[in-house]
Amino acid sequence: MEQRAVMEQPTIDSDLIVACQRGDRESFRLLFETYKDRVFSIAVYSLGGDHAAAADVTQQIFLKLMTSITQFRGDAEFTTWLYRMVINACTDEHRRRRRFLPIGESMPSSRTVDRNPQEKRYARLEIGNSVRDAINELKPKFRIPILLKYLEGLSYEEIATVMDCSKGTVASRLNRGHKALAKRLGHLKGELLE
Amino acid sequence: MFSRHVYKQLSAYCQGELSTAETKRVSEHLIGCNSCRNEYEQIKLGVILAQQIPRVQAPAKLWNDLQGRSASARVLNTKAGPSSLRLFLRPKFLLASSILIVLVSLGMFWLYLRETHPFWEVVSIDGSPQIGARGIKQKGRLGLGQWLETDSRSRAEIAVSSIGHVEIDPNTRVRLVETKPTEHRLELQHGRLSARIWAPPKLFYVDTPSAVAADLGCAYTLEVDEYGASLLRVTSGWVALQLRDRESMVPAGAACATRPGIGPGTPYFEDASDSFRAALQNIDFGPEKNQSLDLLLVNARVRDTLTLWHLLARVDAADRARIYERMVELVPPPDTVTRADVMALKPDALDSWKEKLELSWSNYSSPTMKALKKVWTSGTGKIHEMEGKK
Repeated sequence: MEQRAVMEQPTIDSDLIVACQRGDRESFRLLFETYKDRVFSIAVYSLGGDHAAAADVTQQIFLKLMTSITQFRGDAEFTTWLYRMVINACTDEHRRRRRFLPIGESMPSSRTVDRNPQEKRYARLEIGNSVRDAINELKPKFRIPILLKYLEGLSYEEIATVMDCSKGTVASRLNRGHKALAKRLGHLKGELLE
Repeated sequence: MFSRHVYKQLSAYCQGELSTAETKRVSEHLIGCNSCRNEYEQIKLGVILAQQIPRVQAPAKLWNDLQGRSASARVLNTKAGPSSLRLFLRPKFLLASSILIVLVSLGMFWLYLRETHPFWEVVSIDGSPQIGARGIKQKGRLGLGQWLETDSRSRAEIAVSSIGHVEIDPNTRVRLVETKPTEHRLELQHGRLSARIWAPPKLFYVDTPSAVAADLGCAYTLEVDEYGASLLRVTSGWVALQLRDRESMVPAGAACATRPGIGPGTPYFEDASDSFRAALQNIDFGPEKNQSLDLLLVNARVRDTLTLWHLLARVDAADRARIYERMVELVPPPDTVTRADVMALKPDALDSWKEKLELSWSNYSSPTMKALKKVWTSGTGKIHEMEGKK
């Protein structure tokens, strides 16, 4: 179910967007197929690894996209517009869920309870899981730039546009995020550099 | 090593987001700075770790689910309403809204009070000045129509809106008559005040029982005795004193007395001789004007043309001729000004001569003073008349 993040951006041309705005269902299906994994991935990482909640949020986002794509005027990158929508939806959902969680209870996640530490140590997939868990622990303002950078391959400038902040702020938040990951997962350094 | 640390640039450095020059600077710094190098190792590890995060595939049935939900869009739309409503009904939102509403209401109420009940801040300098019947310890507010009174042991300072300060001496009684963007006005019933105003000319006025003092951008003291007579002494800039059509313009270094029913006397420089000042006192307010005029003319200096120029319009033709001759001896008029014009009190002629005379009236030739004078003479120039204050 998991794949290594790829950095190349999907190519969505304006004709496809226009077709979607006209209500062409097949075009929207193509749009959905192009972005569903990206949207879902961000949602999974933003919601503490809760796949069910991430699926729900992903559906909400694409439903909203269906109804509001006519408002997209093309004066910004479609991806920027979409990522903003994703981040807003995830942030809202994250807040909503946090309010209903008792203090001290951690977020449900897809962490495997029967994870074998020995296997995890040597399996690259498990390193990925550890990183994912560590990212889940980050505050949203540090987590989102990491996700946009490493899942979506956005530049600092693009991240700044999506998050509506300065490039300097993005750099600062990524610095904090990187350091937090290194601090938490420093013990994996040997395996990573092998 | 000795350049600025590069902690903040390290992520951007690792990810090729820096310019060539910045990259070079960070590289050079890292060679010599242990602290930054350790930080760099941390960031680099963080970058390598972050590169491991896998993208997660969306569930295959997501499209089908989406179509199902899309078909019931109406239902979804109706859900969207309550969802928005829930947002507004959240306790935090309600609390924040309530606080905001209260703050806005208080702000509007305060503005309303300021608008309908303007006031000036008053600070007690000595003793316990009174606003109305209430004494103030440190600070108070002088509202429109209210009296501020000091006894023999108290003094106060008033902030005149944002345009200056007025210091109220002991045994003084003043009232706030008006305060609005185009006019600020105090009434000085008795006592003494010192004003320092940095507003444009003709914005601040002080009513006294015998004249109105109009500020032309200046500092001055104004004193009113128990009979309503006043004395103005200007220390900086100019002040105009007026009662009906009688007007005196008083520059720095000069003074001017006023009397109830007569209005402002003739301004004079305070360094004039005693004989000159005594003679002027008689001319302005005494019975023996002819003899006094002789004495005045004899004792007049070049600078005293301030007094002579004002007297031209206040005496009869015979005395005007005598004053004219003495002024010609002291400071001849410009070539364009003839004797006949002066005797006829033609405004242009009087103004032209005055401009020349002003050079001898202290440093009045400065651009600021000229601008002030221009404002005064080109405006309507009429100060509110005093009525029923004799």
